[in-house]
Amino acid sequence: MTMSGQLAFWILAALSVAGAATVVFGRDVTRMVLGLGAFLLSVAGWFLFFGQTFLAVAQVFVYVGGVLVLVLFAIMLVHRAEGADPALTSRHDVDIAAVALSVFGIMVVSLRSAWPSMTEGPVPTSTTQVSAQFLGAYLPHLEAAGLLLLAALVAAIVIMGGEGE
Amino acid sequence: MNFVILACALFALGLYGVMSRRDIIGVLASVEVMLGSGTVLLVGLSSSMTAASGVRPDPGALGAIGVLIIVVAAAEAAVGLAVLVSVARILHTTQVDGLMEVKG
Repeated sequence: MTMSGQLAFWILAALSVAGAATVVFGRDVTRMVLGLGAFLLSVAGWFLFFGQTFLAVAQVFVYVGGVLVLVLFAIMLVHRAEGADPALTSRHDVDIAAVALSVFGIMVVSLRSAWPSMTEGPVPTSTTQVSAQFLGAYLPHLEAAGLLLLAALVAAIVIMGGEGE
Repeated sequence: MNFVILACALFALGLYGVMSRRDIIGVLASVEVMLGSGTVLLVGLSSSMTAASGVRPDPGALGAIGVLIIVVAAAEAAVGLAVLVSVARILHTTQVDGLMEVKG
């Protein structure tokens, strides 16, 4: 890995860890959403780092532009309906930390076998390659994804509209 | 390969958040962290596989699979947030400890 690649790696690592830590440990709702935004942006950065330009743009559009705004709307709606204190509560426990650490250990040990077969630099991917896959081998998956989005949209409307009586 | 350890650590951090957060919004945000780190792990591992071993996937296919993961995660977020708002309106709480009934 080149010097600039290493620099990008550590910047992305710091951004994603800081964002994820804010999401998990932050007490203020607004800060938690900001941390989530930083984490999602860092994920887009990781996609760029691995040469997946189209994925990075989709991540920014869908997550940072869509899901994050949706989360903000939900928080505003909830706190308007609930009138509650915006502070987040959590129960930090040694047992929970032990479970999370165990999962981390299992993942690292099980993925260790894949490490030696890695190269240094990923191949950059163009949008043409992705769209060729979507219109070729992955066409049924694309249709299924469209159906899933439609189902999620209908489900969200039904869930939101089913209350109030 | 440091990014494998990093992505696993982020996944474990998200898992810790899912189990320790008392607010539904915190749980949902932690799930997003888990999903994001899992996607980073998938994309990173797949795009770093060597061509010599014969297991290197087509980068275009990897992009397509990544987009599908993003679509599924977005659908999950939409339904999850709808449930959050609905629960907050009906039960007047967003604490997971307050959700003791399946039938609201």
